[in-house]
Parts: sequence; C-alpha cells; structure tokens
Amino acid sequence: MADQIPTTGTSPGRFRLDDLLIAELRALLGDRLSTSAAVREHHSRGETYLPPYPPDAVVFPESTDEVREIVRACSRHRTPMVPFGAGTSLEGHVAALQGGISIDLSRMSRILRVSPEDMDVTVEAGVTHRQLNKHLRGTGLFFSVDPGADATIGGMAATRASGTTAVRYGTMRESVLGLTVVLADGRLIRTGGRARKSASGYDLTRLFVGSEGTLGVITEATVRLHGLPEAVSAATCSFATVEGAVNTVITTIQLGIPVARIELLDDVQMDAVNRYSNLGCPVAPTLFLEFHGASERSVAEQVEMVKEIAAGNGVGDFRWATDPEERARLWKARHDSYFATLALRPGAVAITTDVCVPIARLAECIAETKKDNAASSLTIALIGHVGDGNFHLIYLVDPNTPAEMEEAERLNERMVMRALAMGGTCTGEHGVGYGKMKFLEAEHGEALNVMRQIKQALDPHNLMNPGKMVRV
Amino acid sequence: MDRAALIRRLQAIVGEPYVLHRPDDLTVYEQDALMVARHKPDLVVLPDTTQQVSDVVKAAREAGLPIVARGAGTGLAGGAIPERGGVVLAMTRMTRLLDLDLASRIAVVEPGMVNAELTAMLAAHGLFYAPDPGSQVASTIGGNVANNSGGPHCLAYGVTGNNVVGLEVVLADGTVTWLGGRAMDAPGYDLTGIMVGSEGTFGIVTKVVVRLLARREAVRTLLAIYDRMDVACEAVSAVIGAGIVPEALEILDGITMRAVNQTLHAGFPEDAEAALLIEVEGLSESVPVLIERIEVICRAQGARRIQTAATAEERLNLWKGRKQAYGALGKLGRRTMMLDVCVPRSRLPEIMRRVLEAGRRWNVGVANFFHAGDGNLHPTPFFDFDDTSPEYARVIGLTEDIMRACVELGGTITGEHGIGLEKREYLGWMFNDADIAAMKQVKQVFDPADALNPDKVFPTGRSVHGAPRGKALAVPRA
Repeated sequence: MADQIPTTGTSPGRFRLDDLLIAELRALLGDRLSTSAAVREHHSRGETYLPPYPPDAVVFPESTDEVREIVRACSRHRTPMVPFGAGTSLEGHVAALQGGISIDLSRMSRILRVSPEDMDVTVEAGVTHRQLNKHLRGTGLFFSVDPGADATIGGMAATRASGTTAVRYGTMRESVLGLTVVLADGRLIRTGGRARKSASGYDLTRLFVGSEGTLGVITEATVRLHGLPEAVSAATCSFATVEGAVNTVITTIQLGIPVARIELLDDVQMDAVNRYSNLGCPVAPTLFLEFHGASERSVAEQVEMVKEIAAGNGVGDFRWATDPEERARLWKARHDSYFATLALRPGAVAITTDVCVPIARLAECIAETKKDNAASSLTIALIGHVGDGNFHLIYLVDPNTPAEMEEAERLNERMVMRALAMGGTCTGEHGVGYGKMKFLEAEHGEALNVMRQIKQALDPHNLMNPGKMVRV
Repeated sequence: MDRAALIRRLQAIVGEPYVLHRPDDLTVYEQDALMVARHKPDLVVLPDTTQQVSDVVKAAREAGLPIVARGAGTGLAGGAIPERGGVVLAMTRMTRLLDLDLASRIAVVEPGMVNAELTAMLAAHGLFYAPDPGSQVASTIGGNVANNSGGPHCLAYGVTGNNVVGLEVVLADGTVTWLGGRAMDAPGYDLTGIMVGSEGTFGIVTKVVVRLLARREAVRTLLAIYDRMDVACEAVSAVIGAGIVPEALEILDGITMRAVNQTLHAGFPEDAEAALLIEVEGLSESVPVLIERIEVICRAQGARRIQTAATAEERLNLWKGRKQAYGALGKLGRRTMMLDVCVPRSRLPEIMRRVLEAGRRWNVGVANFFHAGDGNLHPTPFFDFDDTSPEYARVIGLTEDIMRACVELGGTITGEHGIGLEKREYLGWMFNDADIAAMKQVKQVFDPADALNPDKVFPTGRSVHGAPRGKALAVPRA
C-alpha cells in the first residue's frame, strides 16, 4: 500500500528515509518520536475514503522551537514533512504520499493568551475548537468557526475551514488575525498581529490560511472571538420540495435577515439523522436555523420573517426551540450527520463532496445534481451550509466494489464541473488536498502558475506536504 | 527604444489623447495625497480595457521603464508617486459596472469606479458596498484594493479584503489572469487575499468582483459626549464587551469638535474632550433595543450628554461632523498630516495618552478623530511650516513616537492607508528580517524584475523624511 501512487498521479514516488534523521530526531524528542505501525497508520489518511499513506515516523513536538528543530533536520535530510492536527480532514491532506515525517501538533495545545476586552485569543496550533470554547466559558465570548469534527485551530487555519455559523460570522479567512509559521527551511515568521486591521506589508496571513501545510507549519494562531448573543433560538422547518427550502434560504439571505445558521438537509439525510439521533422530524427536505439577537424580541422578529418566507415556499412543519437543551440536541444531530449517514449502510465508506456556487444558482445546481443522482443506485445524502451557497453530498459506497467507487467519482466530477460552469468552486471548505487537484486545474488558469511559483519560492525542495494542492 | 518611438507605440495601443507626455500634463501625476513627496513620471497612459493594460505593460517593460498604477491619487502614503519615473497607468477611464448580479449580491466593476458612485448606483436595489474610506467620494475601487482600505463601517462589515471575492489582474509580464472568482473562498492559495493590500507591486488590477450587502431595515445613530478622552475610550470597550458590535464606533476629540464647530456650526460642546459616534443597523424591532442598551452603557460609563438621531436628516448631521473632520482641521494650521495607526482596542486609553504626550514632547498640535471600534487611530498633527523647514523634524519625531508606541502595544504602523513610500523605512519596526524576507520572496514571484511600483513597501534606506531614529523598544507581536 505504501508504494501505491495516488490516483491523481502526482507523486514522484516514495522518498528514501535516512536513518541519521531518525537518530537526530530521537535525540531531540526521545519517546516523542514513533515509528510504530499503529501510530503511523493513525497518521496515514484522516477521515477520507482516499487510500492511506503512512509516514515513516511521527513526531510530537511540544513547542514552536521543537518544530523548528524538526523542520531544520528534515530540511537538511531533504525529507518530506506533513503537519498533522486532529486528523479530521476529508481530502487526504495529512496522507504522507511520499512518506517522510508526520509532525503531530496535538501536544501543542496551550491557550497562550485570552484578551476578553479585545475579543481575541492566541493559541498553539493543537488546540481544538471545542477545547477553546470550553476554556472561554464564563467570558461571554465564543470562537465561531465550528466544523463538524473537533478539528485543531492549526488544521482549521491550514484548510481555511468553515462551519455552520459562517453565514453570519465568517470562515477561518475572517477569523485569523495572525499566525506563527515555521517555513520549510526552519525560518520562523509571524504574519499579522493583534490589530483588527493592518495595511502594513503584504498580508501573508491570507497566504498561509488555506495553504494546507504546503508552505510551512503553523504553530500558533491569533483568532478573533465574538460576543455570545443575548438571545438565541433555533428552528427546523420541513418542505415539500428541495426547491422550496432553497428558495427560502435565498430570500432570507437577500433580505439581509442576520440568521446565524441556516442548513439544508434533504430527505435521505433527514432519515439518517432521525434514526441516528432519534429526532422524530418528518422525512422531508428540512432547514435547520439558528437566530442570534440582542433580545428575545429581535430574535422573535427574525423567526417571524423567516416563517413568512417559508410559508410562501410550501413549508410543512415549522418547529422552534428556545430551550438550550433542545437546541443543543438539534445541532448535535446536525453535526453528527456524517456518522448518521454512515450508519445507513454498515460497512460502507462515505465519499464527501464540497461544492459552492453563487447563491442565485444554488436552486438550479441542486436540482440538476439531484436529477443526475436519481439514476444512480447509490445512497446519496445532501447537506449544506446553503446560506453561503455551499453544499455537500455524501455518497455511501462499498469500498470493495470498484464499480461503486467509480460511480461516485463520476457523479462527483459531473457535479464539480456543473458548479464551475455556474461560476462556483470545487471546494467550499474542505480544501484541495490531493483529492481535488485536478479540479483546481480546471478552475484556475494562469493563476495556478502563480500558486506553483509561490510554492517553489517558499519551499524550493518541495518538502512541505508534497504532492498536495499544486503540482510542482 | 527611444522616447518618441515608445510614445508612438503607446498611442497606437490606447489612442493618441490617452498618452500624456508634455511636462505640464505630467505635473498632475507627480504626487498623491501624501503632500511631502513628488516625482514626475516619464509618461502617463490612460487605458480603457484589460487588453490595453496588458499591451502597455509589455511596451513599458520592453522599454525598461517601471510601471506605477494610479487611481484617484487620494492615497496618503505616497503609494502612487513614481519615484523612479516610468509609466503611470492611470485607471480613471476604466469606470464601468460590468455586471450586477442582484440575486448573488455580487458586482463586477472596473478599477477606476469611484467608491461612492458604486454605492450610489446600488441604492435603488437596497444594496451597498461596505468599505467606506474617508476619501470615498473620490477614491477608486482599484485604489481601495491596492491599499486594503477601511472606513467607519468596517467595524461590522470588514475592510476591502473581506469584501472582494475575485480579481482580474495583469501580471508583470502582461499576462492576464483571474484570481478568485464569484464564489466565496476559491480553493488553492488565497491569491485574491494577498493581492489586496499589495499596493500595485504584484500586478495591475483590471476587474474587481465585490460582495454587496443588503441595506438593513433600520439605522440608529447616537452621539455621546465625554468630558475626558480616557473615559470615552473605556466606554468603547464597554460597548463591545457587552457583545454589541455596532456598524460604526467613532471618536472625535475636543480639538476636532471645535474645528468642526467653526466650519459647520455642528453644535458640539466647546469644552468636552471626546465624542463617541455610534451607529447600529438591523431589523426594525431590534435596532431600538440595541441603541437603548448602548445608551445605558454610555451613561454608566460617564457620558455627559447623549443625543440620538431619530430621522435620516439628524443622522446625516451627526455624521457630517465626522466625515468633514479632516477638512475642518485646515482651520487649525497651514499644514495637516493625517497619520494612520492601529492598536488592539483595549489599548486605546493608553495609546491616546501617549499620543498626547508625544504632541507635548515635540510641541506639535495633534487632533484626533478615528475608528475607535477597530482601535484604528488617525492622529493628525497641524502646523504652520513647510516640510522643507527644519521645524518639520518635530513632526517626524512625533510620528515616529506614535508609531513606536503602537508597535509596543501590539498594534500596527498602518491600519488602512498602506506603507507606500511614507512608511517603508519603518516596516522593520513591525516585522523582523525573516518576516520581510518571506514577503520579498512572494514579491519576487509576482514581479522578479521589480518593475511594478518599485521601491514601495520595503525599506530602501532612503526615507522621505530622513532616516528613522532608533528601533521600537519591544515588539510584542501576536
């Protein structure tokens, strides 16, 4: 398996590990270096259907200085490095395509500074978003980006992660104020700072957010926080048709109603969620909504407006929940939807897609995609952060039946091309990894050359997470 | 290629009237709103299409001339000054609205479109473009992109970088490419993100895809008068600390209020040290609730008087004082020079104390009106001598003290005006050699021959104001 070349055909083959490097790293880290099969296997893939590529060794640094030492050593020995957070990525970002060293940042989990009055926080890369929010309890503040999995802040910055609240609070792009990064040759740089805005020098923060570990190792991040709203309520509403649900979303967004979350689950997805989380909702296209406001009154006003819009779009069942426990139950069910879908077909793996289109084309894109999928024998669930025009399909396939894998690939490819033709993008939030490099080429023309040159400038020996993002 | 041949080639590309080469015609392009430096370009070209921009770039490169893109020339950091001469690409003819996608709330505009004109065109559709720099009635979207411009309403809606989703760019070799697109968050490296704020040193922007926002149902504006500046600064943190992020949160100091009173008869109290101007937008039910809460907080934080605007006209009146503040300061001295620095918000009381101290130390009057919610200050020294006078050294001393204090407090030497040539020698106060080296590597990728707006952003050893004195004592970054 380790010698397998990825299907996208990018890997120039496996790198030969130098025993001297292992000795150097062991001298530096002691038992925080592992070459055991189990640990390497754990660092071989993330949550993805893509095949595993274990690294030759995994290191567990505890400080930025240690990361620098590790990177310098790997750089001297021309050894590939793959930064690893929580291993929750969906596009194979952490697979060690060419072997080398996996740099696991999970022990760098200190919260270095919380400034409630400035509403920002500096954390080490291995802090997870749930850990951070737990730490912030009692401050009246929260960190808003909430991908389903409990990813690390470093990993989320590296993949420019998003989540259900992006429609109101933005993605990692809006949330990261500054980063500490170890470059491929061991140089340490800081991008940005704590000022809310800066026009000083080039905005390298933007370059490293979303660079997927291909330009350097993010070791610390300063991120912005938001005030917890005074009043919150949640609602679910089911529709006769997906179009009805999508049109409700479009109108809600266009009217500028400041919904905090607006998520679409289709009938297949609702069936899965009902079974897995015992939700008892109708098996029909459903919107999950959350409203944040300065008072109960302002929240109630938002709910009323959405209710009216929904009524014009064939809404069936409209339930709302102000009780915190009921709300938590709803959103837990939403966040567990990936596992709920997997449970529909034991033994199957999930191939997750991630397109994003301008919101005006959303209804059309979903309708055409559903029509295309109707002929398929696969179980396909749809879920989306539709407020941003971003939606996912989950194809359940038997990994041992090549015909099913091919079918899913075919459907996905057609959907991506459909999204691109509508002015959309091949990945709204999961990133490129190596699963989507071919689509990146379809999407960007000359700009891809610029990306490649930036990669070559900052990582001339192609050691940082090689084989991902752009072909060198 | 000799000059006459180059002029002919450029005239063939853009048409004869759009190549300026006579000294008188070039004078207009020798400076921008940084009043202390000027340099004539060799030629000015006014292109009309992306293809023309590309052809001009190729022609200038073949002639070995640098290229400096220019919008309305309202930049305050000298970013559009062609210090080495060369060809100025004036983008002011490229002002078209190419596409308005109401359903997706996206517009595609040419870079010469004036900021305020875009918003005016959108008004009928209930939409607006959020960044609203003080120069918005003149400055162009392309110039805003180059400098990552902000404005009062960026507190809630973000700066230019948060509101641009895609760019068409002519690269240094004349290649035309798109960065980003129409959907948020194009995959791959965020080249749109890094192009924004690159001050014309990476490429020439020829189309901009901007995000549009829906006008909120209701707007309410409040003015709170404070006897003391430090108390007003504390109130800023109290409002935001209560979980309220107003659409705008501005401070005017006593000097500014008195100057505005003289020109506009704005009716500000003559003896107050600070006024807080706060605006909230939202649904009609929630806005009154918010403004009430803000009022309660401001009172609890010691406001002397609070005034709320009930009508659109009253609202505009409250804003008039803020929007025309810089102009009004002209009353105070023959020269004014607006600075632009930014600190974490909680450091506002301290930085204001240090700004006033610096003014006393250098014996220069300083007025202050600023985006307090973002921690973005605009200390504005006013004085009666020229930049050629020996006395001008006091203004430089003041400027450096303020920048040094900001860096020490975890802030930045420019929040929204850019580095240009004004602040290039100070970049090292914020970033160390490794940071700057990484930036230079990125510049090399885009412009290996250093042909696009050369000598901007990075230290050159030649300051417009003479060499910087000393280093920041500490650099408590991140």
